[in-house]
Amino acid sequence: MEQKDYYAKFEELQQSSQDLTRKLIEMKDIISHILEENAEFKIENDHLRQRLAEIDNDKTTPQLPEARRTLEKLYEEGFHVCTVMYGAHRENKEECAFCLDVIYGERGV
Amino acid sequence: MKFTINRNQFIKKISNVQRAISTKTTIPILTGIKLELSQEGLTITGSDVDISIQTFISVSDADNELHIENTGAIVLPARFFNEIIKKLPGEQFTLNVVENNQTIIKSGKTEFTINGLDANSYPRLPEVESNEKLSISAEMLRQLVDETVFSASKQENRPILTGLHLKISAEKLLGVATDSHRLAQRIVKVNNQSDNDYDIVVPARSLKELEHCLIEDNSEIKISISENQILFEFQNTLFYSRLLEGNYPGTDRLIPTSSDTQLTFDAKSLLQSVERASLLSHASRNNVVRLAIDVNASKVTLYGNSPEVGTVEENLTTEALSGADLEISFNPDYLKEALQAFGDTKIEVEFTSALHPFTLKPSDNKENFIQLITPVRTF
Repeated sequence: MEQKDYYAKFEELQQSSQDLTRKLIEMKDIISHILEENAEFKIENDHLRQRLAEIDNDKTTPQLPEARRTLEKLYEEGFHVCTVMYGAHRENKEECAFCLDVIYGERGV
Repeated sequence: MKFTINRNQFIKKISNVQRAISTKTTIPILTGIKLELSQEGLTITGSDVDISIQTFISVSDADNELHIENTGAIVLPARFFNEIIKKLPGEQFTLNVVENNQTIIKSGKTEFTINGLDANSYPRLPEVESNEKLSISAEMLRQLVDETVFSASKQENRPILTGLHLKISAEKLLGVATDSHRLAQRIVKVNNQSDNDYDIVVPARSLKELEHCLIEDNSEIKISISENQILFEFQNTLFYSRLLEGNYPGTDRLIPTSSDTQLTFDAKSLLQSVERASLLSHASRNNVVRLAIDVNASKVTLYGNSPEVGTVEENLTTEALSGADLEISFNPDYLKEALQAFGDTKIEVEFTSALHPFTLKPSDNKENFIQLITPVRTF
């Protein structure tokens, strides 16, 4: 019977699509795990480099205070840190005079 | 309502009003032009909510050849009305509103019958109390707009930056526009008889339209400001614009007070050099040119490159050069627009560091005109 054939076909397709979905989920989990690990390594690497710089102690350029360095990092990742548009994405990584003022500007204490 | 008028005079007078009328409006009646006839003359109004322009054709001005038979008001579809008047054969035309807002326009042997709209349903113009105390010469206003407005943001996601920030205190009018990548600030003189100071933000688009209306004007323009509207009065014309709401970010502290490297250029020749360098930078993905300053060798070099096309290198002619060596990269388009605003003059360019914005000022007007460009970080 033709109709029965179709049913079997459907069964088969359903099975394979379920397989595919399962594999996708597995792969997604692996990727997110790797990304997480990557981020951790990056942070650790940063810390190690900082430590290294401290030990070497040959940095002659004046360092920005910790808070400003965090802002600088955010800015370099492509986000605004200025009061005008804090947190907004910097389109095409265009520079922002307000952000630069926040990071490098002289601020009365 | 019925009147006869000189066609060419009429076309001239309505051209400004046409600027305010947009075809893309959400309120259908605003695609129309409102004509209102009184014994004194004809008042014509156009509006797109943000900008409203009203002009008056006086019966006492003989050039207008305005003859009034009976008074009244009507709103006519602006686009068709304009085209019709332009193409009419006679030197004069007669406009007659008959019943049901039907309007007959007659000139020579031609007769149009147009479906108008009831003038009572046309929105009322904003109310701005006319102030006799604040005025500026048309030329000053044109300069102010010309030299700043291009720096305003074109992106609607930060509405406040799409305007020009105007600060009036005593006889001084300070205008600032910035899109956060560059900034232009101009100070001009106003005639302010009142004790009031003002701090407002006017949409850049309104000012560009206003500038077009003022092209051949050299009169004194009266300015009145209410809570959310600004009104410019000139030559039988009223120009209303909405003001932008919100606080404009503080820009004073963006402008550096000291510098480490100073250069003086001829604006025109620098503009040509930048245009050459940008030929290649436009072809690359990040559109950046690099400026290298070697003070001891008194050499200033501008580099542009595109990985696919090639490179360009040019030694710039400087009028003066002092301070520390520096290498800095920036978007050439911002420098180009800034230089275009300066015209043919000597300019002083001052740098602090490769991370800090640099400034440009005309040598002969350092106090009143300053432009600022943010460099691009290239590491």
